[in-house]
Amino acid sequence: MKFDISYIFDALPRLLEGALITLQVAILGFCFSIILATLITIAKTSFNSRIFNGFIAFYISFIRGTPLLVQIFLIYYVLPVFGLNLAPFPAGILAITLNSAAFVIEILRGGLASVPKGQFEAAKSLGISGYALWWKIILPQTFITSIPPLVNEFTMVLKATALLSVITVVELMRVSQQIYSANYHPVEVLSATFIIYFLMCFVVSRSSVFLEQRFKVKRA
Amino acid sequence: MLEYQIFFDYFPMILLGFWLTLKIVVCAIALGIPLGLILALGRRSNFILISFFATSFIELFRNTPFIIQVFLFYYVLPFYGLRLSAEYVGILALAAFGSAYFAEIIRAGIDAIPKGQLESARAIGMTDWQSMKNIILPQTVSIVLPPLTNQTLTLIKESAILSTITVHELTMTGLMVQGETFRPFEVFIMVALLYWALNETIASIMRRIEKRYSRNRKQNKIVRSNIDIIKSSGFSR
Repeated sequence: MKFDISYIFDALPRLLEGALITLQVAILGFCFSIILATLITIAKTSFNSRIFNGFIAFYISFIRGTPLLVQIFLIYYVLPVFGLNLAPFPAGILAITLNSAAFVIEILRGGLASVPKGQFEAAKSLGISGYALWWKIILPQTFITSIPPLVNEFTMVLKATALLSVITVVELMRVSQQIYSANYHPVEVLSATFIIYFLMCFVVSRSSVFLEQRFKVKRA
Repeated sequence: MLEYQIFFDYFPMILLGFWLTLKIVVCAIALGIPLGLILALGRRSNFILISFFATSFIELFRNTPFIIQVFLFYYVLPFYGLRLSAEYVGILALAAFGSAYFAEIIRAGIDAIPKGQLESARAIGMTDWQSMKNIILPQTVSIVLPPLTNQTLTLIKESAILSTITVHELTMTGLMVQGETFRPFEVFIMVALLYWALNETIASIMRRIEKRYSRNRKQNKIVRSNIDIIKSSGFSR
């Protein structure tokens, strides 16, 4: 057998469609995880309850201590046992969200630590609390300092979506498997997929510098 | 609701998978760290060809999902006439994946050593390799240890993906038991707990070692912020 580049061109349109689904899953999962992590971070700081914080620490430790693949299986195979039948796509997004949220909570904790205590005190002395305190004062500062690790986390999520192929979410990896199981040219098809993933992740990871620059200007 | 019998009946089988996971990860690390060191030195090399090759290897493997690397190894090696069993393909893939990250960690560690160290080593007549081996690398050990541990934990978790190319490690065993018993909850909880226990054990041992090291390190004059940067960059899934 020889490396036949024509198979790459044949597969390319479908692979790019798969790449769009991959992006869709990654963006949805990442947005949900940011929302969830933000809510948990706010709850952690405002309640300061030992039970809640302990539970969150337990959750983070579990997510960071077990493979994402096992977490995906847990969600996909175990939820139906409790009567919750999820299709592969929502199950995949749920798995990505729950996984990524644990990492985003840790990132936000670091970002929050860099916000000076005086910001809270100043807000308090001005009578600002609740929604305005977080939305207008604390969260913007937290997120701006967290941009580089958040971008890094997004590339992690982008790579993690490839695992959803094992529960038959038809994203890039799954599409490539479908193509090469039909034409028996795995090397060409997988190489093309490899390069598409690389381009996506590389562009995202390099965008960190650009994003930082942009928000720095805005802040000044 | 829970069928406790499954825990007892299938635990030995699961443990066998766990043992294979351990073996694979140890082999992958044993291969990956030397390869990572070579890549790190290669990236710093003055020969453009070598540094280009090392850089592209590192960037390619860091910016793609591990699952596709595994499949590429699984199909590409036989394509060029190298037929290996799934276990060996898995070890190679895991070692290649790990080495790209190890290389970046080691490179950051080398960069954290003050430039004067290398210059003085060269000034007293050591060759490049001698000063690297005797002066620079020993100093990087305590710096790179925490991120290397993090990466090891990542490799343990990524090894679960080898189940997709039919390596009979922990996750694969779990899938097989699940197919036999149709009790996914018990099985996957067992699998997850084993991974978790392994990771937590390694993490706590390394935390203790790190504490001892950092007490000694205070005497060193390595810039503190550099170490913090490296520590935070070792943060990974």
